[in-house]
Amino acid sequence: MITALGRSAKLKASSLLYGMGFFYNVLKETARFFRRSQVGYKVLIMQILFTGYEALAINAVMAIAIGAAINVIGSSLLPQFGQSQLMYTILIIVITRELGPLLTAFVITARSGTAIATELGTMVVNHEIEAYLSVGLNPISYLVVPRFIGVVVSMLVLTVYFNIFGLLGSFIVVQVIKPTPILEYLTSLLSALSVGDVVSGLVKALVFGIVVSVVSTYQGFSVNRASTEIPVAGIRAVGLSFILIIVADIIVTLMQYA
Amino acid sequence: MKFKIKFADQIVGLFILVAVVFFAVIVVLIGANQRWFAKDYRFVTSFQSATGVAPGTPILMKGFTIGKIDELKLNADNAVDAKFHIYDTYYDKAKEYSILELTISPIGLGSQLLFHPGKGEAALSEGDFIPTADSLEGKTIIEQELVEIPPKDDTITRLLANVNPLLENVNKTVITINRTLTEVNRALAGQSTGPLGNIVNDASAAAAALPGTMGNVDAIVADVQVRVAGLLDQVSSLLVEFEAISGNLVATTDSIRDPTGLVPKLLDAGGSIKTFLNDGNALYTKVMSIIGEVEKSVKSLQGIVTGLNGEMPKIAAVLNETRTAIQQAQDVLEGVRNNPLIRGGVTERVEQQSLYRAMREGSFE
Repeated sequence: MITALGRSAKLKASSLLYGMGFFYNVLKETARFFRRSQVGYKVLIMQILFTGYEALAINAVMAIAIGAAINVIGSSLLPQFGQSQLMYTILIIVITRELGPLLTAFVITARSGTAIATELGTMVVNHEIEAYLSVGLNPISYLVVPRFIGVVVSMLVLTVYFNIFGLLGSFIVVQVIKPTPILEYLTSLLSALSVGDVVSGLVKALVFGIVVSVVSTYQGFSVNRASTEIPVAGIRAVGLSFILIIVADIIVTLMQYA
Repeated sequence: MKFKIKFADQIVGLFILVAVVFFAVIVVLIGANQRWFAKDYRFVTSFQSATGVAPGTPILMKGFTIGKIDELKLNADNAVDAKFHIYDTYYDKAKEYSILELTISPIGLGSQLLFHPGKGEAALSEGDFIPTADSLEGKTIIEQELVEIPPKDDTITRLLANVNPLLENVNKTVITINRTLTEVNRALAGQSTGPLGNIVNDASAAAAALPGTMGNVDAIVADVQVRVAGLLDQVSSLLVEFEAISGNLVATTDSIRDPTGLVPKLLDAGGSIKTFLNDGNALYTKVMSIIGEVEKSVKSLQGIVTGLNGEMPKIAAVLNETRTAIQQAQDVLEGVRNNPLIRGGVTERVEQQSLYRAMREGSFE
């Protein structure tokens, strides 16, 4: 048992070191990416298209629904305590600081994380990676970096859209239930909103984007030779991404409020 | 080829560009709303405590936010130095004698930092000190009515505004009493060097000197007793003389009280007055006869007057007839005088009403 435990710990440590080395290589190749004129740019565009643009609809629906829920609950509950003005603060905290980046990360993980892991896993099984290597192409710079940048950019952009739909789109929904002058709403909202709130959300989006992309690509490359490993890699990518996203969220939040 | 794939570059570019534009607009709106591009005028003040204030606390004037607290610092004198700013749109409110007032809700509804503009003409310069309402300078400004302080918005705050000075006075009184008691205790313990201590020390010295003083008093009293003894003898002789005088007075009083004394002798039946009046009622009879005569005269006079009253209508009628006759005679004479044959006829006479008219002759108008 002790031997098994030791072997497992050794394997985990080895895997962690490998993952850190992988992450280091991704960062190194990312720094070089924009200085090179290569086909990776087209991969990046396609990645943003699939990860960002195609997720915009579900992201917007989620943002509007959550913003409207907070508006309705806040406008009916908070006046009972004489704290109506806190509705905007709560809306900003929930939409901009917390749920915006978190839900966007979950959506991207569920949609693109699994897609990246299975795609790369399939390429490994089909020996495409070996082909890239045989012709002198670095699979990290050509396959991982565009996905890494694409996911991070999509994450940032989708977070901005989530904020817009969550803060402004929900206003339209609220008008059906409780009409409020747009000027009053915007003034109150902008009085409560600070650049710190926006930056905080974007920092989380950046971190979550890095986590999702690195974990997904890593899990995709972790497939060895059997096609049955591909869905397992996808599941691992999603599970590990969720865990790391929540851990990263706690760490970033603690750093912001410390 | 699918539309999305064909125009992927444009779609992604638009997707990112719109997000960037929205982000930039939001940042600009936040900046405009939070006055990043507006000038603020900075001032300083001092609080006794930082309770209820913090960096970012809004400064309100009639419900409008006209500025905010920037920085708080505890200074060497244990007061809280504060830096704050007033928005340029409200800078004209910062006049001379302006003050700040920190009101804290007693029921936990937060605090408010209020700005009261001064009534002075001169505008405050940037960096000037604006006192708080509870500071000595602020109280002086309020007492001299150099600042506009509107009535408080809510009843509780108004009550507190009245209660707080009372509580402060009570606290001061309690502190003063405590200090006094402490001083008294220290003085009684002989540890005080103040006025009370001196008094207590003097009292102690006086008490120590009291036995010696009492000895002196005893000696003086003995001397006085010797001297007073001679005076008492003289007083005794005087008392004997007074006793004799009193005896004489008693005798005099008895003689007055005696029923056979002087006054009764003057007033009794055999006295001088009685003798004067005792003339066999001659004086009385004479007086009564005079009164009887007077009574008869009055009765005669009364009869004459009554007769006259009865004859008055006849006299009046005679007088009237006489007057009529005289008038007719006058008319005849005048007619004769005015006769055209003689002299121009008789002039028409104006009827003269009688001056005397009985009640029945009057008309009831």
